[in-house]
Amino acid sequence: MDEVKVGVFLSDCGNQLSKILDFNALTAYVKNVSGVVLIERNSEFWRGDGLQTIVDAVKGRKINRVVVAESLPKLSEVNIVQTVEKTGLNPYLVEVIDLKDHCAWPHRETPQEATEKAKAMLLAAIERAKLLEPIEKLEFPVLKSALVIGGGIAGMQTAVDLTDLGFEVNLVEKAPFLGGLAARAGRFFPTDDCAICIQPPASDVKTITHTSRKCVYRSGFSEIPNLNILTNSKIVSVEGVPGNYKVTIEKKPRYVNELKCVRCDLCTTICPVEVPDEYNAKLKNRKAIYMNIPNVHPPVYVIDDSVCKFNDCAKCVDVCPTDAIELNQKSEQINLNVGSIIVATGFQEYDSSIIKEYHYDDYPNVITNLALARMIDGFGPTGGVIIRPSDRKTAKKIVMIQCVGSRDRRYNPYCSSICCMISLKHASLIKSAYPDTDITICYIDIRTTGREHEHYYERAREMGIKFVKGRPTEILRDPETGRLIVDVEDALLKKFLELDADLVVLAPAMVPAEGTKELAEILGLELDEDRFFKEYNSKLRPTETKLRGIYLCGGATFPKDAPTTSLHAHSAAVKAAKFLSTGKIVKDQRTAIVNEEYCGDCEFCPVTCPYGAISLVSTTEEHLVARISDLLCEGCGVCVGTCPLNAIELRHSRPNQMLAQMKALMSINGTSKPLVLAICCSECGHTAVDSAGMARMQYPANVRVMKVPCTGILQVHQVLEAFKVGAQGVMVVGCKSDGCHYEVGSQKAEKKVELAKMLLKEYGIEPERLEMFKMVFIEGNKFAEAAQMITERLEKLGPLQLMRGS
Amino acid sequence: MEYGKEEKTTNLAFSKVVTSRLGGETISLCYQCGTCASSCPVAKITERFNPREVIKLSLLGEKNEVISGDAIWLCCSCYNCQERCPQKVEIADVIYALRNIALEEGYIPNIYSEFASALLNDGRIVKVSKFVENKRSVLGLPPLQPTGVDALRKILSATGFDKLQQKEEESE
Repeated sequence: MDEVKVGVFLSDCGNQLSKILDFNALTAYVKNVSGVVLIERNSEFWRGDGLQTIVDAVKGRKINRVVVAESLPKLSEVNIVQTVEKTGLNPYLVEVIDLKDHCAWPHRETPQEATEKAKAMLLAAIERAKLLEPIEKLEFPVLKSALVIGGGIAGMQTAVDLTDLGFEVNLVEKAPFLGGLAARAGRFFPTDDCAICIQPPASDVKTITHTSRKCVYRSGFSEIPNLNILTNSKIVSVEGVPGNYKVTIEKKPRYVNELKCVRCDLCTTICPVEVPDEYNAKLKNRKAIYMNIPNVHPPVYVIDDSVCKFNDCAKCVDVCPTDAIELNQKSEQINLNVGSIIVATGFQEYDSSIIKEYHYDDYPNVITNLALARMIDGFGPTGGVIIRPSDRKTAKKIVMIQCVGSRDRRYNPYCSSICCMISLKHASLIKSAYPDTDITICYIDIRTTGREHEHYYERAREMGIKFVKGRPTEILRDPETGRLIVDVEDALLKKFLELDADLVVLAPAMVPAEGTKELAEILGLELDEDRFFKEYNSKLRPTETKLRGIYLCGGATFPKDAPTTSLHAHSAAVKAAKFLSTGKIVKDQRTAIVNEEYCGDCEFCPVTCPYGAISLVSTTEEHLVARISDLLCEGCGVCVGTCPLNAIELRHSRPNQMLAQMKALMSINGTSKPLVLAICCSECGHTAVDSAGMARMQYPANVRVMKVPCTGILQVHQVLEAFKVGAQGVMVVGCKSDGCHYEVGSQKAEKKVELAKMLLKEYGIEPERLEMFKMVFIEGNKFAEAAQMITERLEKLGPLQLMRGS
Repeated sequence: MEYGKEEKTTNLAFSKVVTSRLGGETISLCYQCGTCASSCPVAKITERFNPREVIKLSLLGEKNEVISGDAIWLCCSCYNCQERCPQKVEIADVIYALRNIALEEGYIPNIYSEFASALLNDGRIVKVSKFVENKRSVLGLPPLQPTGVDALRKILSATGFDKLQQKEEESE
């Protein structure tokens, strides 16, 4: 390897820093550090002339390690690193530190101490730089195709977007027809239009204006050339890596040839088997060969093989004019290779029969919102008439009950967020079609947040819909008349009401679609506490998952109304397109590496890795070693902190680099106070230190900051080593437990700190010398206070007495 | 209702006091849906008791109204409310917690203090009357034996029950 030549570039921020830091002293000090061949000073180095100085030094003076002290390093580093890369030097041989916000500003009242700290910081950066190693960029191929799971409005919209962008899309729907819950809901708020219209695909030549919207069945959806629709199908297994997922799908037989069926209806007319129609909330019967509603997609009948008599009957085969019915169809297995997967599995109504006091099971006139939606739908089982299922007479008095199984800590603690609007929509639609219907809504709180939503509540009141603030305790049935009685207290009147009703409509909680858990297992995705798919970050990455290339949209993450679902679907499509578009994943090798000589047989790291990047493989000596995928590894180092055999290292944060840094930071004090090493994670911890400096908060200069990728990388012995190399106290500063950028790192660190405290006690060292702090980046004050607090604590404790050899 | 008129600090403190008591822990989960009220057989027949209102007043810190009134003593402990509460507020248990607070502050309906004295003196809540004794002999049941009142007193003293009773007598 070439001789290490370090170039040090000191920015004085237009002479602002030199008012506090003695730059002559710094230069004189750095000049004598071994390996340093060049020192430059300028007002800034991250752009313009300053940046050119670095380029010239790399090219002309052949320096191969670049140490830059620059303000706002998190911004300036980007430019410096990119420019250095263009000169041909590996960009990971650059170390940028911040003498402004980490030293000059927070210690401006003690300039001499600040200068001494700056020396230590520069030394630490140089020592680390000397040990840095070049890191390569890797490329992984990405197939330009996607799998969309779920054919509701979310899945269809995503599919349209992705096919429009030119990707190959496979849309898998477990039901025989597309449309999902939306198709059953009939109409949507806040526009009151059909649920099942979508933004048509670009391939639809008749779409003249961009404002046009169309029903799925006339949108040309099925004719999109690069769209492969698989209904009646489910995902069996998914293997592979981001960019190349191998998917196995089971396509159940339809028994009707999609290419031959002409929708003549002869088969359904002749079919002798009748069963209650689940799709229409059992409000009518259907045949064994059926179509949900006339405008479904695909427009082809399906045979329900759980009830069909097949060859014992075969009347439909005889009558079909195009020989479309194929009773001998079998399940087929379809294998696909796709680059990306979008989960759009949606949600469904909670089973209200669990709430015994509402008698959903026993009283036929107690129905749910979805059944009511079917009645309101002109295509539905009652042709738009609202009936009592018990005798099919018109329902004149309707009571609606909100929050059935939601906001209920016995069943689903969350608010399903859309049910108030659904009930208001239903009530208004019924009231406008049948103004003499008496409708009462029993609610706990009416929640109509969202654009144009409050208007629904307003309109409902105008229409004369009644509201009772109270959750009914029970639905009773008059044994003689069979009429329902809803037992409720109107809390506002403090009055007990027994509401008489023909029909009681429950607004059940919305829960994840059936099969969500199984699919999560197949995909390796996590579910949240409410059993919905968990997004990577609800604020910044609402459609992404922890797994690259797998996205979520629509109700799969939480119940959503149509506008939000649409928004979510478009967003997921953009994310997937961004991932698929270049045909490759470029990723540097700032990842973990296993020393197979030390590694053996334990299973800690694969379990701990938040990204599933580690697998165990057997070696020739017949023991298991960990193998880390450079594609999946995010370089946090949680595995490093977990490995009991010190067999894992991060290429960009090796133990020797960290030790050299520690030693350097502790080698110069320059203050009368005890030295403190603050080990900060590169995310919230380190940026909180930035914030403290930016806001010019003051804390003592004996506190020295060392950056690690994530506090999860820490090993107990490393913490102890800090004391050995001169620290009187150690702060570990990480993200908040639920806000760790690497999921589990800061929790792991907390446990390590506890353990280290126990060991310190064993060694006769006060455990209070070590403390973990958690903060978010804006909490600079918290860091400054913590630094002050620990310094005062250490002063009280007095100097650390290390036993010889400990 | 006169909430807000009292000193703010006492108001806020009261719901915390209830939360810190055995049985009172879940009170703050209440979102006033009224399931308890419509489940309550007592509330249906008298306006003097409404579990939803007792909880609301406690949360608002209306301590005096809650503990000096007779509402909390009207709960019949059927637990229907608790069974159906969607927020798992242990309503009947909250009411027990409120009764204990009331007792400590010297508020107890006469009937309850009579029960307590009877228990301390005879080891029975209800005194054994001649009628009962006759009835037993008619039915061929053996006469009731004296209770182990000394042992019971020890237990009641260990739990602090006797002190509560004294307090009640002092305040009378």
